[in-house]
Amino acid sequence: MKRLVYFTADDHSVYAWSRGRLTLEAKFPGDDLGVTAFREYLAGHRGALFYAVADLAGEDFHEELIPYLRGGDRELVVQRRLAQRYRDTRLATALSLGHVRGERRNERLLLTSFTNTQRLTPWLDALAESEAKLAGMFSVPLLAPALAARLGARGGRCFVVTANSAGLRQCYVDDGKLRFARLERTVDMMPEALAAFVRSETGRLAQYLSTLRVLPREGPPIQVIVVAPPGQRSAFERTLVSDARLSFLTIDQSEAVRRTGVKAAPAATGAEQLYLHLAVRRPPREQFARREDRRSFVLWQLRRAVLATGALGLAGCALYAGASWIEVLGARAEVERVQAETQSAQQEYQRITSAFPVTQTTTENLRATVVEFSSIARQTIPPEGSLVYLSRALEDFPLIEIDALRWHVERPGERGARAPAAPAPARGAAAADSARSATEILEISGRVGTARRSDYRAITAEVQRFADALRADPAYVVLRTQLPFDVTSEGTLSGDISTATDTGEAPRFTIVLARSIR
Amino acid sequence: MNFSAREFRQLALPLLGCVALLAAGSGLITWTEGKRVAEERALTAARAERSQTKERLMRIAEEEREVKEKLEIYQRLKAIGILGEEQRLEWADAMARIRTERELPDLRYRVERQQALKTVPGKPANIEFYASRMHVALALLHEGDLLHFLGDLRASGNAYYAVRRCTLARTGQPAAITGLSPRLRAECEIDLITILDRAAKA
Repeated sequence: MKRLVYFTADDHSVYAWSRGRLTLEAKFPGDDLGVTAFREYLAGHRGALFYAVADLAGEDFHEELIPYLRGGDRELVVQRRLAQRYRDTRLATALSLGHVRGERRNERLLLTSFTNTQRLTPWLDALAESEAKLAGMFSVPLLAPALAARLGARGGRCFVVTANSAGLRQCYVDDGKLRFARLERTVDMMPEALAAFVRSETGRLAQYLSTLRVLPREGPPIQVIVVAPPGQRSAFERTLVSDARLSFLTIDQSEAVRRTGVKAAPAATGAEQLYLHLAVRRPPREQFARREDRRSFVLWQLRRAVLATGALGLAGCALYAGASWIEVLGARAEVERVQAETQSAQQEYQRITSAFPVTQTTTENLRATVVEFSSIARQTIPPEGSLVYLSRALEDFPLIEIDALRWHVERPGERGARAPAAPAPARGAAAADSARSATEILEISGRVGTARRSDYRAITAEVQRFADALRADPAYVVLRTQLPFDVTSEGTLSGDISTATDTGEAPRFTIVLARSIR
Repeated sequence: MNFSAREFRQLALPLLGCVALLAAGSGLITWTEGKRVAEERALTAARAERSQTKERLMRIAEEEREVKEKLEIYQRLKAIGILGEEQRLEWADAMARIRTERELPDLRYRVERQQALKTVPGKPANIEFYASRMHVALALLHEGDLLHFLGDLRASGNAYYAVRRCTLARTGQPAAITGLSPRLRAECEIDLITILDRAAKA
């Protein structure tokens, strides 16, 4: 609920405004008794939100030029100009009329105030004391540009003429900006008489403004938008005939009410209802109340802004969370679909595996048993193969006598594990294989049985021939051959040739044979 | 615009409300984000399971063939006594029988305590491979006796016999003095490998 205080010269009314509906709540005389009654009224409406609209004669309008300034500097200059113009600046304001074209871009200001502010200040003090939230102190002329726009003014210059309770209000609006206004008191008169009064007062206003050079003497006719009291439009139209200077557009008050959006107003309310409604719905930035008079309102706005920020934040978070939740729902549906597919595949798997042969164990154990056992079997080799191989080789060497055989398996990583030396072309691959596989080693210790045991050349040749015979199968590699006589440059060669007879001990040799187990 | 203490107090409640609303909003986001992350994880897991199941299904023909092949080996292992608990008495009987049948002059053996074999990672927990190391000392008339002994041992079953080491040496006794005196002596190390499948049905 918003409340409007409508100040006129005779009395002051308080209207309640809610969704375009105006209802008269109270009416106070303009004297001290009225102020007292107003204070009592406000006591019952502490902290209420108020808009003040003054519809008084004696409002001053004065144009000024100030340098092109911004921010605090501009505000200082404006306040100084207001102080120079008006003795009491409590209810004074400056309206920007734009910048003058040119290098300096000076700003045109319209300074405005009431000639008698003392009549209003007790009422504004009463509002401040009651902690009412004063949104602004407006005058009817400040609201005229908004009304002109609502009533179809097409830019340029126009007069807006309305019959208010306070009298006949005339406002001059130039390109959507207020330039001048006046209020002429009226008495009850017939429609034709009122229309004639409008005609004559409009002519006087145009003449006055031309004299002040606010209006050009020559040029197209000025549009005059006249809001006729209800039911008096035809009488007004008959009287208000356009000419070369003024072009009248008469609008019935009921039509103006519709265009401005007023839903309802007390029956006896004049055209001021249009301004009151616009004060709430389209309040102009410029108004008369000081910052300290509007402090409660600003604080209230700040509280609302803080709460609105929180609500906006929550709404944003809720929006984001909603989007996330949609993703959650989508993911859930996808999980259910995927799980259904998995279940279906598992059922199909179960159906097929149920037709498998009876395994007596689990498939995993079956696989692990056989795979692991096969791996062990691959790393295992019986000694028979090597022994048979040796036996066959010995058939061609009747002089070789075996004393001992040592056979064992070396697994990768075991101490002493060695890679058999493969024949040259296959050596690289064999070495790589042997690093991964086990190796069987056969160490052959024996003697060469010969009549001439001092014939070391023949004995060495026999052992080497035997070693070569053991290489017949490429799978076997002779790792080491220890000859009865060390004929290598690295070894020590020794002998006893001084005695004529043999010692009786046959020369011994050792051959180490290896084969990779794949 | 400077605020008085009273005006600050008037602003406190809306500020508190604003903070509460923002906190509620961020809480809501945290909660839904948590749910979203959890659902995405569940979806990833479900997709992985589906992929695994479908892969298994696609491999089922191969698996069936593999099961048939492996089952044959598995049943053979079971039939010859490699699968199952150790049969130490059976081993002792087999050694005695081989000595008698092959008329070996001397045969001594010692079986060590059973030990678990190191196996490949990823093996099911309810299957174990064990090995018991046997040391055998044999007196031989000729080399063929060793080969016959090893062959007979393998044929006796009740374990997989993995020969690790064998040495064969002359005893030094002259031949044909006493007719059947051993000329050779062999010593072998043999792993007696058995498999214990705890999931196997009797």
